[in-house]
Amino acid sequence: MVNSSNQPTTKRRHWVASVRRIYRGDGPYWAMLLPLLVFVVVVAIYPLLFSFRISLFKYRLTDPDQVQTFIGLSNYLRAFLDPAVLNAIKVTLVYVAGTVIVELVLGLGLASLLASEMRMTRTIRAFLLIPMALPPLVVGLVWKSLYNADFGVIPYYLKQIGIGVGRGPLAELGWAMPAVILIDVWQWAPLMMIIFLAGLKSLPVEPYEAAYADGATRWDRFAFITLPLLKPTILLALLLRTMQSFKVFDTIYATTGGGPGSVTTVLNFHIYTVGMTFFDMGYAAALANILMVIIAVLSIVYIMLLERQQL
Amino acid sequence: MNSKRWRKLSFLFVGVMILGLVSCTAPAAVAPPAAPAAGEAAPVAAVGLEVCKGQNLVLASMTDQYIAAFRALIPKFEEASGATVTMDELGYVDLYQKLIADFVGHTANYDLMTVDIVWSGEFGQNKYTLPLDTFMERDQAELQLDDILPVAWTLGEWQGAHVAYPLAGYANVLNYNKDLLAQAGIEPPKTQEELLAAAEKLTDAAKGTFGIALLGAKGSAVAQDYMSWVQQHGGSILDDNGKAALNTPENVEILKFFGELFKYAPPGATDYWWDQRETAFRTGNVAMMEGWSIARAGYENPDLSSIVGKADLTSAPVKAGMEPQYGFGGWGIGINADSTPEEQACAWQFIKWLSSPEIQKDWLRNDGAPIRRSTMTDPEIVAAYPWMPLLLESFEKGDGDYRPRIPQYSLIQDALGTHVNAFLVGQETAEQALEAAQKQVDDNWQ
Repeated sequence: MVNSSNQPTTKRRHWVASVRRIYRGDGPYWAMLLPLLVFVVVVAIYPLLFSFRISLFKYRLTDPDQVQTFIGLSNYLRAFLDPAVLNAIKVTLVYVAGTVIVELVLGLGLASLLASEMRMTRTIRAFLLIPMALPPLVVGLVWKSLYNADFGVIPYYLKQIGIGVGRGPLAELGWAMPAVILIDVWQWAPLMMIIFLAGLKSLPVEPYEAAYADGATRWDRFAFITLPLLKPTILLALLLRTMQSFKVFDTIYATTGGGPGSVTTVLNFHIYTVGMTFFDMGYAAALANILMVIIAVLSIVYIMLLERQQL
Repeated sequence: MNSKRWRKLSFLFVGVMILGLVSCTAPAAVAPPAAPAAGEAAPVAAVGLEVCKGQNLVLASMTDQYIAAFRALIPKFEEASGATVTMDELGYVDLYQKLIADFVGHTANYDLMTVDIVWSGEFGQNKYTLPLDTFMERDQAELQLDDILPVAWTLGEWQGAHVAYPLAGYANVLNYNKDLLAQAGIEPPKTQEELLAAAEKLTDAAKGTFGIALLGAKGSAVAQDYMSWVQQHGGSILDDNGKAALNTPENVEILKFFGELFKYAPPGATDYWWDQRETAFRTGNVAMMEGWSIARAGYENPDLSSIVGKADLTSAPVKAGMEPQYGFGGWGIGINADSTPEEQACAWQFIKWLSSPEIQKDWLRNDGAPIRRSTMTDPEIVAAYPWMPLLLESFEKGDGDYRPRIPQYSLIQDALGTHVNAFLVGQETAEQALEAAQKQVDDNWQ
């Protein structure tokens, strides 16, 4: 072997040349990234791969011998045949639809209402942001007290105006899901408001001027100019909230524990029950992967719609 | 700065960061020394409190009433022994999960832990806690084992070995509000049928008073109450072979009876955990409440209760014609099998100290629950707590196995917890609920 200056090269010279290339080239940039990459791999990638792997096994966490039996796709098959899982998926879809649609409408409404830059609107906007700053678990516990059938404020006032609450909003079959959706809306509608606010601020003024000159009403301006121009923002907000809503856990855990019966058992909560109560880790991992795939598919759909909009 | 210096600096920076990362993880990589198997542990030569000098113990305790007794007595133990005992106060679900995580991960975070009577089988079979029989043999003379009530040994006994030592014995009793019963002209019920009749008579929804408070919350709460009623009707959760038999016709009947009782309970009862049920009784809105005897003293405490002087208790009523047997429950105290031998020796000293007749009186006075006959018949104690003789009778006729203390107990509890609640809120019929519960248990039985 010879190098560029026609000197015979040894393996050591090759090695030294490579190190020099790294040192002088992109090396420093990769090196700066290395600690973060290590962290991400350890905290996110490795557990993800472990989850894929363990979902193909039968593994009970509390087994003193820690036996792992390979069973292929049995866990996934079991999931699709399990009525509890199908119910959980259905409940989750209801939850997501309820929260996202209500938050979308409310967020858009609030953003339109509070778009002006007067001091009062700015103050109101600031106060509306407070629910977002609270931990979901705390929010759940507080709302649980509010909804308490015996001592809660909400049932008290409902009784005053003549609406019977029976066992309470969180314990009645028909009321539990709306009650829980309300908690989520209370906390996250302001997020939608902020996103739409940003969107509204970025809209061009000219179409509105033209519309005003043409004699369009306020509703016309909203429906035919604002909404179409806001489509990318709306899709983005939908994407964000859908992904987050699918993963709901804290609220359900703090308020209903999946009850009454199983009307608020969302998929994430069911996974927790399977994993932490039965310690059936293989099955829980399979369910978690299914949830991840559902979210990923929805996200891809949204992003495709988003890209089409921007073309 | 020229590119040469930039490169040198960046590599130096990276080196420092990697060093930092490595040194952060280093302590975790050092495995704690494995504790030798229980059988091999050579008992430390000294058997007194001396072994505790300088030891640090961590106790995981359920937030039941006896936690006040722990808070009062631990400083006394620390003074007497020279050890430091830190206590972690945890709710029922959290305690179970943290203990299981500690055992399965062999992290030995907790040296001492309160063990629910129903966990005896699970902890015993999986060897989570140290069998205490060697210690008990050795220190027999000091322990006065005959003084401990026979039923109290179910708090930690599993297949002949003791995986936890009796800590707090509870009898299932019927608490009632004397005033409300007197106003309605009812005697405290002696049979289950009388109980249902009394509950109906005492309920006046318009006034906001209800006959009985019950645990209905999905999970361990409703499971416990349902199993308690199974016991009081002479039913059984297990069949003769020791496997779960939840959907028998008797159990379905008992579930329907249980549902009947909920008609006379406050509307939120289908969501009641132990504290909410207690609150309902303590505020004087509810006339009767079955519960563990340990709560009785709290009703005389004006800080906690609005019914001071109005509460009384009687033995839990059984079905007419049934031989009286009373539900027994409570907590044992166990030692982590993964703790070091020194920690285990000191933990045993703590258990010995705590269960000694002298300290048991203080234990009781600070809201603990009794395990010794001598404590329950002590004149001072009986004078302060007049219900002791009744409690003693409940203990003597106590049944500590009405909730099976088998390793699969958690499975049965979760199945019943989900489906009995579903029945109470009207999502399933009684037959459907117990069928589904049985199926859930069978599918996951190991």
